[in-house]
Amino acid sequence: MAEKPKVIEKPDVLERPDILKPQAPAPLVAFPIEVVVPEGRQQTPAVGQRASRADGRLHGLGQTKYIDDMYFPNMLFAKIKRAGIASARIKNIDTKEAEAMPGVVAVITGRDIPCNSFGPSLKDQPVLADTRVFHAGDGVAAVAAVSEQIATEALEKIKVDYEVLTPVLDPLESLKLETPGVHAPSANIYGHKVIKKGDVEKAFAESDHVFEGTFRTQMVEHVPLEPYACIAQWDANGRVTIYSTLGRITLGRADVARTLGIPMSRIRIVATVVGGNFGGKNEIRAEPAMALLSKKTGRPVKCVFTRSEEFTSSTTRHPLIMDYKTGVTKQGKILGRKIRLVLDGGAYCSWSETTLGKACILSAGPYNIENLYAEAFVVYTNKTMTGAMRGFGAPQVCFAYESHMDDIAKALGIDPLEIRLLNAFDEGSLSPTSQKLHSVVVKESLLRAAKRFGWNGIGDGVGNGNGA
Amino acid sequence: MVNVTLRVNGETRSASVPPETTLLRLLRDQFNLTGSKLGCDVGDCGACTVIVDGQPVNSCLMLVGQVEGREVLTIEGLANADHLYPLQKLFEHFGSLQCGFCGPGVIMSAKALLDENPDPSTEEIRDALGGNLCRCTGYTKMIEAIKGASCILRGEEAPLVKSA
Amino acid sequence: MKSFEFFAAKDSSDAVTLLAQHAANAKVKIIAGGTDLLADLKFAAHGPDVVVDISHVDDLKNITLTEQGLNIGALVTHTQIMRSPLIRQFFPALVDAAHTIGAVQTRNLGTLGGNLVTAVPSMDSGPTLMALEAIVTIAGNGGRRQVPLNEFFVGPRKTILKPDELLAEIIIPKQNLGKPTHFLKFGLRKGQALALVNVAASFWVDWEKNVFLAPRIGLGAVAPKVIRAPQAEAYLEGRTISAEAMAEAGRVAVGDAKPISDFRASAEYRRHLVAVLTKRALESAWTLAQTRRLEGWNGQRNA
Repeated sequence: MAEKPKVIEKPDVLERPDILKPQAPAPLVAFPIEVVVPEGRQQTPAVGQRASRADGRLHGLGQTKYIDDMYFPNMLFAKIKRAGIASARIKNIDTKEAEAMPGVVAVITGRDIPCNSFGPSLKDQPVLADTRVFHAGDGVAAVAAVSEQIATEALEKIKVDYEVLTPVLDPLESLKLETPGVHAPSANIYGHKVIKKGDVEKAFAESDHVFEGTFRTQMVEHVPLEPYACIAQWDANGRVTIYSTLGRITLGRADVARTLGIPMSRIRIVATVVGGNFGGKNEIRAEPAMALLSKKTGRPVKCVFTRSEEFTSSTTRHPLIMDYKTGVTKQGKILGRKIRLVLDGGAYCSWSETTLGKACILSAGPYNIENLYAEAFVVYTNKTMTGAMRGFGAPQVCFAYESHMDDIAKALGIDPLEIRLLNAFDEGSLSPTSQKLHSVVVKESLLRAAKRFGWNGIGDGVGNGNGA
Repeated sequence: MVNVTLRVNGETRSASVPPETTLLRLLRDQFNLTGSKLGCDVGDCGACTVIVDGQPVNSCLMLVGQVEGREVLTIEGLANADHLYPLQKLFEHFGSLQCGFCGPGVIMSAKALLDENPDPSTEEIRDALGGNLCRCTGYTKMIEAIKGASCILRGEEAPLVKSA
Repeated sequence: MKSFEFFAAKDSSDAVTLLAQHAANAKVKIIAGGTDLLADLKFAAHGPDVVVDISHVDDLKNITLTEQGLNIGALVTHTQIMRSPLIRQFFPALVDAAHTIGAVQTRNLGTLGGNLVTAVPSMDSGPTLMALEAIVTIAGNGGRRQVPLNEFFVGPRKTILKPDELLAEIIIPKQNLGKPTHFLKFGLRKGQALALVNVAASFWVDWEKNVFLAPRIGLGAVAPKVIRAPQAEAYLEGRTISAEAMAEAGRVAVGDAKPISDFRASAEYRRHLVAVLTKRALESAWTLAQTRRLEGWNGQRNA
């Protein structure tokens, strides 16, 4: 036991009576709220003016209404049961026990969806998995209850009988023709693009050196601070209003119409301020399921993803496996480059085709390369689907071609800045797809940046892991 | 059920809620104060930051039973019908918030910082915002706004950006 | 979160009584700051039946200098540690450790006791307290008992606490008051990061012989629990203070660590970090020892 205290130190809060003082609701110094309303038909100048965000004030006051901030009388709360298995056949779903729970108002499964497939390009994604589970984040049933707590507890009462199947997880395995199809009988390669220019093999033969490198990037989640949310309200006239965090409402409306089997004219989608999108809220998720729950219960239904659902059941950035082969002269001039990109598309197509195209077009980098062969594949795997995310594949290939350039410069003993200046686009250069480029300032930008962070060539120390 | 009575933005409020209810849920669902946001629900993102007894905390990590008798200040308690709080004014002025979802939490963290430290350095501001994630990556403008607000709260002139 | 019964304890004896009442026939969890507990309970398949809240228990919130040493109540928050003049004076390493935990919001809620009770191997309070040979007081229905912190941890998320016991205070023994100590953490970013490796080193100096006395090294995130580095300590004991000795002690400490590979870092990288951080922690503790000597601290073991 401790001896009698000698010096007693009170917790700091008590030493700071000011902290314990009740916070006055009215601030000491404040600004009067001024509202500037332009007169009717008044031409407001834009160029050269400082613009403030129209929504900035409400954001700061906490008054912006995001989807989860909305409430409708009699509203129900929905939760989605996730498969938790990468690949499986659903033999049976028993929802009876969940339906019998006090507070649970309705349960639906994939079999209740009139047309259970959607997608921005390929219609390969079910609203809720019905016969097959394609990735662990797939929903298999949705519950509407009087509280979120009850809905969550009801998920545990839903019994799903799975026949577990071997998942395809490696995109390079998936690329092989003998690998079983994720969406059999379809093959796993669901997008392919080739850009061919000159004769790359001849260029390699003429090169002083040929360098090869493989680069990989990981899956990235957008993590918008606002998780996905929607509220569906099916009215007695057979019209449905959906409040959603969706960024592309017209596209979403088409998908909702398709999956529910009703005309677009009966669907109204209301998008409010989105709490961060970054490409991750560009297609529907639970909207059709919520609409059906609302139809079944006659009450508004709200669904908000948990942070983990945001990771497992929304789109992510494509991981890429990028093989580069580049032939150069002794001086570092690129004569030819051959590239193979394999995009891990996850379980569903989503925006993969856009990503594939952009990654392939940009894969050679901002360099004049006469002989180029770039080939890109996107394949299905039993993983979280990948889709749109800022740059659509551009950041991944940039990481690869710039790392590759550094490797080449190092091997040749050339300043990494020099090798870029030697090869970079000029005004009027042609892109890999023969687009004539204007306002090209690559070299100027490089030089200015090098000057700004004090780059003095190899051995200067600036480039040795200290960062710019 | 747990009966709880606390002061929220200067008013005494009571509720009877299940014991597993968090302070965040109490504020949002019972008191309709939806300014505090649910971003992660595990104390990582800071979107739910409120000030309890003078200290910023994650309201998603406090149970209602723990806030009995406490003094809670939320984003709704900063301004009144006629006046903005300096932080709110300068966040608006500098365009510090993009999607805005992190905003209420960031402003509450900043308010707690300025209450304690009227003239924080950039490093101190960054430390104070360490528990507030902004995925639009707008920290630079937030720091400018917090510095500006600290000037105003000290009675000095804030370095505002002039229109062209 | 699963529902539970909630009881708020008024003081520590009330808390012990509540635990004794419920622990026999129900699963009980104690909530203090809640920063770890609630994050867990929100996703737990099976929650507790009873939650006993001790966040209002004021008699566990004091920082006191006693005959036994520096007593820190288990409910002292990380923020209070950072602001405490006593701790700032004697143990800046504890202040540094507290500062690396979570962020302002979690440091305002989270408590020193909670950090220890959670017994996560990467806890940031652990290594410094291990390097200072802290003792913990455990309160139970049958009274209080004291054990060295070293024996408090059993494994990942496991301590010797019985279901009806609670951690009451943490004591840094009198002989270590003011012992030069330094804490270092390596995380993937500054805020809200778990340690890949964290290290604390402490030692006294025999200024006449210029040798290490009672060197103590605490390592976190490299074993199932926070550990001491006995081989490195033995290597340094009585050895002449030099940069080479500190670097070698770092290399020896690698042998004391048993890290695993996970998604944050590989075992190999963690071993590398142990060597580097141990060396740097020793160097900084040495700087502190020299500064304190110049400032007129006794510089000797004062017990």
